[in-house]
Amino acid sequence: MDSVLSLILFIPLIGAALTLFTKTRESARMIALISSAVPLILTVIIYLQFNSGLAFLKFQFVEKISWISTLGINYHLGVDGVSMPLILLNAILCPLTIIYAWGENKQPNQFFALILVLQAGVFGVFMALDFFLFYIFWELTLIPLYFLISIWGGPNKDYAAIKFFIYTHVASLVMLLGIFALYFSTGVNTFEIPVLLQAFAGITSPEMRVAIFLALFFGFLVKMPTVPFHTWLPDAHVEAPTAGSVLLAGVLLKMGGYGLFRVLLPMIDGLGPYRSDIITLMAVLAVVSILYATFAALAQKDLKKMVAYSSVAHMGYVMLGAAAFNFMSVSGAMFQQFSHGLITAVLFMSVGVIQHSVHTRIISDLGGLADRMPKLAFLMMAGFMASLGLPAMSGFVAEFLVLTGSYLTLPVFALLAMVGIVATAGYHLWAMQRAMFGSYNEKLGEPHDLAFYEMIPMAILVLLIIFFGVYPAPVMDVFEYASTIIPGVM
Amino acid sequence: MSIVDFISQFAPEVILTIAALAIMLIGLGLEAKEKRALGYIAIISLVLGILIIVLRGAYELQLEGIIADSLTIDPMSQFFKLTFLLVSLIVVIASLKEYDNHPNQDEYYTLIMLGTIGMMVVASAVDIVTIFIGFELASISTYALAGFNKKDRSSMEAGIKYFIVGALSSALLLFGLSYLYGLSGGLTNISDIAEFFSANPTIIQSPFGIMALVLIVAGFGFKMALVPFHMWAPDTYQGAPTVISALLAAGSKKMAFVAAFRVLLIAMIAIKVDIAMVFTILAIITMTIGNVVALSQRSLKRMLAYSSVAQAGYISMVFVVMSPEALTGAVLYVMSHAFMKTGAFIAVAALGYMLLRENSSAKDVDHLDNFAGLGKRSPFLAFSIMIFLFALSGIPPTAGFVSKFILFYSVLEGGFVFLVTVAILNSALSLYYYARVVKYMYVLPPSSSERLALPKAYSLAILVALIGVLAIGIVPEPFVNWAASAANVLGL
Repeated sequence: MDSVLSLILFIPLIGAALTLFTKTRESARMIALISSAVPLILTVIIYLQFNSGLAFLKFQFVEKISWISTLGINYHLGVDGVSMPLILLNAILCPLTIIYAWGENKQPNQFFALILVLQAGVFGVFMALDFFLFYIFWELTLIPLYFLISIWGGPNKDYAAIKFFIYTHVASLVMLLGIFALYFSTGVNTFEIPVLLQAFAGITSPEMRVAIFLALFFGFLVKMPTVPFHTWLPDAHVEAPTAGSVLLAGVLLKMGGYGLFRVLLPMIDGLGPYRSDIITLMAVLAVVSILYATFAALAQKDLKKMVAYSSVAHMGYVMLGAAAFNFMSVSGAMFQQFSHGLITAVLFMSVGVIQHSVHTRIISDLGGLADRMPKLAFLMMAGFMASLGLPAMSGFVAEFLVLTGSYLTLPVFALLAMVGIVATAGYHLWAMQRAMFGSYNEKLGEPHDLAFYEMIPMAILVLLIIFFGVYPAPVMDVFEYASTIIPGVM
Repeated sequence: MSIVDFISQFAPEVILTIAALAIMLIGLGLEAKEKRALGYIAIISLVLGILIIVLRGAYELQLEGIIADSLTIDPMSQFFKLTFLLVSLIVVIASLKEYDNHPNQDEYYTLIMLGTIGMMVVASAVDIVTIFIGFELASISTYALAGFNKKDRSSMEAGIKYFIVGALSSALLLFGLSYLYGLSGGLTNISDIAEFFSANPTIIQSPFGIMALVLIVAGFGFKMALVPFHMWAPDTYQGAPTVISALLAAGSKKMAFVAAFRVLLIAMIAIKVDIAMVFTILAIITMTIGNVVALSQRSLKRMLAYSSVAQAGYISMVFVVMSPEALTGAVLYVMSHAFMKTGAFIAVAALGYMLLRENSSAKDVDHLDNFAGLGKRSPFLAFSIMIFLFALSGIPPTAGFVSKFILFYSVLEGGFVFLVTVAILNSALSLYYYARVVKYMYVLPPSSSERLALPKAYSLAILVALIGVLAIGIVPEPFVNWAASAANVLGL
């Protein structure tokens, strides 16, 4: 078990290389499925072995090999409560996405290979305990998604792909500047994340600390994304193929949130005189994100764009929970990441099916699809209900904790965010009603209902959403322990 | 130092010289068809040179005062010699196919060998006269090589332009060096000159001294293709035979860097003339103009030329920061860039070769449109071009990322926040034109669905460059250590 994390990390990469050289669609998807299922099994095994209670033994399954000793760079992997459930999320979503895309016809070997590379990149981000390694994986995730959008994307894919690539690359570079600044100002000759974070409070100039914090913050902000830096996301989603959208919203955005918990929250207490300003800034960004994206979603004509904006809004809750900086809100925000990953996958898969069978996603062109596609209607309804925060679904648990927690420390912002909840219910139900119910729009022809391979992943996701809504403890406990060890969290 | 010692220390140069002469002589008696063997002689001598340098393990090596204090063997010289040898090796391997059956192969390989020797002399030289001689040996050989396709007008134009600008810059450099010689009372060794001027600062701060520095900066500026001395580079790189463009961009241009590291850094530190401002401006405009102009290029060779200008801008940040870390980054960057650029140019050459074989009257074979759908027509070629281009833009895990990482962090460490911000923005900007090529190769449909068969020679050359790019990216430790000990030589 010594190098189980490396195994989880590299099996998809090896699988990607194998997939790339397959000749037929059948072998490509089979190899891809196997190479993402093995990491899932391994992840479940280590999840069961993972001891969330050992807060003092922060990182588990640690691997550390010196890499560039001159600069203090190590190949250092490890997991703790912040990352473990997200690794599980990534491990769950990727095989499901591959099953969902079972019918992919266009260059299937490359398609599945890219999904596996993406999975490996995200695993790496969640496991890396060295900033150099972290940055490498962070950047590695850009390339497969760029190709997924630009080869398998919609009509305006060129623009969307390059916008996504450049926008997030610039953000990464700003983050890199922050990492450099952190490295020099602390004066420790290492890129180890925990060591640098501990040394952060020791930097003498408070302005420098704020500058470092903001540089890193910007990197994560764009990734999450937060209004006003969200503009790449709706474009990317609208043009991306469904599998790309599922992974983009399901796990890639979570990298931004993960950065918040892994890197930024432990720094907050070290900000000294600027602490409250920064918290206010985060809270304002969070509330603006929630409200702006919610109302933007309400105004969308394209179902997929609506779901994309709903992602921005839901990631706003993550930011709000982080900003409120107490035990309940932070663990709620972490859970929101996990839960939103599952929910948004269902939503994008539903939209993908609609696009695929009636060739339009414009809400006003749809109507009465539930008549002809009952299975889709059922699963999609479940996903929409989870997304708007229906009790007994995982989204409710997360948002309840975030809002209750935030009310303790940031009451005004929490109340403003609640306005968003109402509108959230509104756009979900309204879209559902116009697209799925009512009388069937005959112009749409004879749509086919869910294929078996599309139904399986969606059904599994819905079951997971309900399971974690009723019994969140397996993941929630881990997050709760994790949030107690962030310095300063009450 | 006895002659035996000399030969053992300079074995790579000696082997190359023998090979150059042998190629020339043997070539006299061979038919054009048989001249392919000459290429193999060149390859063997280059591989031997590389092995000798690598096996000797140049980390700690330090030998000074060879031939009247004019040459030295130290980690810096060995690092650059290795770079030059590798570049030449890749170029020669690719040339096996490019100039197969060409009647003048003997001259061609001899010139490449001589050019490489010139570069290696510059890498070892610590004496202004020796530096100049090495420069001229490398330059004159490459002038001829740039115009080697004598029936091709653009190749002739490239050769002539390169020659005229090269002659001018050599004159400027020599003029500047002669001032140093005169002002210092007849010293030629760089460290002697530096010592003299630090003892007598008023002399170098006089108008003559400043003029000497300006002339030297301009002379090196031309060779390094810093803006505003860069005008020749795009025309030359575009017009020259593509494999030779690789040699020019990755070899002879980098030779100017090693000379500039030695002369300018040592001299400036001793002299304490603050020309950081001058180099800040030069670096910023160089990288910005290089990248911005590259954005609109449709010819791949021209785009690579401008990207080369931009990369020179990044490297020249070392003259601003002047710290051992920055020099480590810059030295490593030179080697990384050599692999990335050579690889990219050779790949473009390979595509050109294949297109011309299909249709011998094809024009502008390096035009972006020819890359459409290359991912389907030649998967290995497209994949390698993608890696080279992503490496040039600094995406991990490639050589480009590691060297940019070290270079940029050293600039920030030096406290030049503005400079590093500009560099980082430039780096992001460059991604646009690199990614565009990748888009053409993988997203756009091919003009014909026929597979292109990549000749083995090109595959091998590209593979060597690819291994270099990925090796530095994935196992950077030995390269970083070597670069760091090279940087220590200058005693910054």
